[in-house]
Amino acid sequence: MKKNKLNTPSSTALRFLEWFCPPQLYEGIEGDLLEQFDNDCREAGERRAKWRLLLNALRFFRPGILLRNKFSTSLTGTSMISNYIKVASRNILRRKLYSFINAFGLSTGIAFSILIYLFIQDERSFDQFHVNKDRIYRMKGISYEEDAKKQQRFQSMSQMQLALASVMKAELPEVEYATHFCGSHGTLQHEEKIFKEQFTYVDADFFKMFSFPLLRGNADKIFQGKDEIVLTPALAQKYFGHPDVLGKTLVLNGRELTVTGIIGAPPANSSLGFQALVPIQGWSSYNQRNLDEWRNMGFATFVQLHANGVPEDFQTKLDLLTKKYMRDIVQRWREEKSIPAEYEPYTISFTKLPDIHFEKEIGWEKVSDPQYSWILGGIALLILLIACINYISLSLTTSARRRGEVGIRKVAGAYRKQLVYQFGVESIVLALISMVIGIGLVMLFLPAFNTFTGKAIGLRSHDGISLLAVTLGITLLVGVVAGCYPALFLSGFKPVQVLRGTFTAKLQAGFTRPLVVLQFALSAFLMFSSVIMYRQMRYVTTKDLGYDQHQIVIIPMQIRRGENSRRILEHFRQQASAHASVVSVTGTDYPFAGDDGMIFGYTVNGEPKSSWGYTVDPYYIKALGIQLVQGRDFDADNPADSVKTIIVNEALVRDMKWKDPLNEYLQYHGRDTTQGARVIGVVKDFHFLSLTQDITPMFLSMEERLNYILVKINGKSIPETLEQLRKYFIAAAPGKPFEYQFLDENVARQYQSFDRWMNIMGLSTVFAILISCLGLFGLAGINAVNRTKEIGIRKVLGADLYNVFLLLNKQYVWLSLIAFVLAAFPAWYAMNAWLASFQFRIEINGGLFAAGMLLTLLIALLTVSYHAIKAALINPAETLKYE
Amino acid sequence: MGKEYLGEFEELVLTMVGVLGEDAYGNAIVSEFKERMDRPVNLSAVHVTLYRLEDKGLLKSRMGGATNARGGRRKRIFSITNAGLATLRAMKESRTDLWKLIPQLKFS
Repeated sequence: MKKNKLNTPSSTALRFLEWFCPPQLYEGIEGDLLEQFDNDCREAGERRAKWRLLLNALRFFRPGILLRNKFSTSLTGTSMISNYIKVASRNILRRKLYSFINAFGLSTGIAFSILIYLFIQDERSFDQFHVNKDRIYRMKGISYEEDAKKQQRFQSMSQMQLALASVMKAELPEVEYATHFCGSHGTLQHEEKIFKEQFTYVDADFFKMFSFPLLRGNADKIFQGKDEIVLTPALAQKYFGHPDVLGKTLVLNGRELTVTGIIGAPPANSSLGFQALVPIQGWSSYNQRNLDEWRNMGFATFVQLHANGVPEDFQTKLDLLTKKYMRDIVQRWREEKSIPAEYEPYTISFTKLPDIHFEKEIGWEKVSDPQYSWILGGIALLILLIACINYISLSLTTSARRRGEVGIRKVAGAYRKQLVYQFGVESIVLALISMVIGIGLVMLFLPAFNTFTGKAIGLRSHDGISLLAVTLGITLLVGVVAGCYPALFLSGFKPVQVLRGTFTAKLQAGFTRPLVVLQFALSAFLMFSSVIMYRQMRYVTTKDLGYDQHQIVIIPMQIRRGENSRRILEHFRQQASAHASVVSVTGTDYPFAGDDGMIFGYTVNGEPKSSWGYTVDPYYIKALGIQLVQGRDFDADNPADSVKTIIVNEALVRDMKWKDPLNEYLQYHGRDTTQGARVIGVVKDFHFLSLTQDITPMFLSMEERLNYILVKINGKSIPETLEQLRKYFIAAAPGKPFEYQFLDENVARQYQSFDRWMNIMGLSTVFAILISCLGLFGLAGINAVNRTKEIGIRKVLGADLYNVFLLLNKQYVWLSLIAFVLAAFPAWYAMNAWLASFQFRIEINGGLFAAGMLLTLLIALLTVSYHAIKAALINPAETLKYE
Repeated sequence: MGKEYLGEFEELVLTMVGVLGEDAYGNAIVSEFKERMDRPVNLSAVHVTLYRLEDKGLLKSRMGGATNARGGRRKRIFSITNAGLATLRAMKESRTDLWKLIPQLKFS
């Protein structure tokens, strides 16, 4: 029907309307729209009228209209569905390589998405299992930090005042329950079983607030007294051999405790972790001094508000509470740090229990950055998209084989719509197969994924349904998205042309080329990053730290207050030195490679300075192979060395601007005004901190007590040596558990999180390369198909395999070069940012990038060669006989 | 009728169809809304309501003759059925009954 009207409205709007509008209503609606358009033209001009028409047409896209469609077409389609599935499976089976490649690409994408879904799900499930999760809060103190370099002006910490819990409960009507949650460790003994264990000191309210199941015992009666302990089943098993241990006794640090409850171990997605709970009232830190002094903080505190408690009111009252108890302290801090009036030096606030996991500014067990979830989600989406587009380009490559089928079907009376359904079904079938493989991959990779991410995700049955739903959803989405374009393309063949045999389709897949470049750029980016990360980690683990970290056994002496550690050490040394495998024995207060250690702050000429101070014994420097550059070592035969004598490192000398350090004294005890300790030696700088930090001032002294024995062994028959050391230790320190670590392992552990990211990157790189190779493979295939005849003619004219190979592969060299250029800068930038967290790092140099580029090129060429060689080997008679 | 309730907009549209008589179609109702009630309404909303009322049996529709004005498209002319008229009347009466029960209204 010809449209005869004065103005021509935008026909797209009307075509869209025609598409979704039920045909019986269409004419009336269209007429009304056109009439309104004419009116608008007269009143507001043609331009605005067109806009209004579009807007009005779009407004008809609503359920009231859409649902009036009769969905009959899809019903007639279903009668053919069994045939579609049959044809699909035959096709899949006939072309095994292509099906495999397709299924591989899709299943990788699906598997990755499932893993990342599980990860995000796990992140979000943290602490959600507590019934009262919306009423439980962790207290935090927010203090003003004067460090001008940092952007963040305030620092939050979860260490609170000891008295806060009881004061809040007594004075604030909102607070229903309050408990401390303080981790500590000590030795636990039952008969001959002695081990060092982690303890958590809590209050009786703990059992009423949190939803950890109390397997045995009565929540209302637990922790009425001081000498009680609640164990997890695993710990009960460890000490008693069975879980039914109510009323039995254990000795903790010399105190006898009665087991009054068995509590279920916290799940992996709990921010609160514990093995044994002990009432805080029995702790040595729970004393009057700490209760009275509001400057002493170090006790994590949780509260539960009443059901009608308003958090805002709670905050207001907390502010009043802070004023009441800490006015003078806060005032003094304000003066000391000269804090401007607009900032509050210290406020007490709180965080909702489920939010603890993501509050990354407060150090807490398992705390995590919500950004990871977003980044991983983005990666999953990207991988899915890439897998879909690879599927598209691969199906286009092989579309030539389906031409005949499409022609016959059309001649036999198939509508285009039916063909679209057919190819859609085919891709969905393939997606479903991929889903099965993908689930298999998930199961295969879940343990590795858990190691990488430090999680304990399992395919639990209770969330199986939602997981299955998500998986199916992803699969169908992938099937539809991937199948869409090939279905439209394949069903568009004209039967007459196809069946006459002269049809040559130029495959239009313009979008695959930029996509392949993008994929390759991504792979190259990941490859660069992995290589640089790997190099840095190798550098970190092999760098000479300035001392000998290898073959040193660390034995904690488990010293309690008032015990003489030096005597134990001497006793141990006498026996152990005689052993053939022991090179030397020494002691220290804190071994390096941990965050533990003492930092002393002092003032020199009005300038605040600080320095790490380690307590050692006279054999320490020799045992660790630390280099002495000036002066002398501690002398074991000279008792005078054990007081007011220190050996400093070069960084301290520089920091103090000493010309002649051996004639200097250091007063490292803050306000003490005496001369201080005499410097007898200077050691060469060594990395006692992790390589993420610069070497800071440090000194060694012999004044404080020792906590650890370090044994240098010669590395022969280590298990036997350790067994010997155990015997010596038990003889020297009866009743103490023997534990050991290796110094080099501790050193390596400092880089655990970097290591984890390196592993994740490595895995992603492998996947990215595989997937982008698929993409390139598809693109090369499309290209080879398009040029089949050209190659035939060239061969007839005398081109050999080499020429054809060159002809087809030239462009991929360019593609991979572009990809490389695209990837190089972001990789350089990102890796510089990553390396910046290390104070000591490798240089990113051109050679690294050149190697990366060569590798990219090689992978690309390997991938595309299959098609090039195949195309070059076809007998030209085959391709040209129809011309 | 009783069991089927009409919304305010539905009732207005139904009434408009009654008012417009032989010339009740989508656009006419929109301009009637504008003129008589000074209320801008959207064409699609009117259409959807008309179809819903037709489903309920309160309206019936037929295609009118072709004209040149609207690109040759025919109008879908709606007319009120007996059931529709009865519903309108019932609604009006129940309103009036309620109206009378309001005690403090005095027109003086």
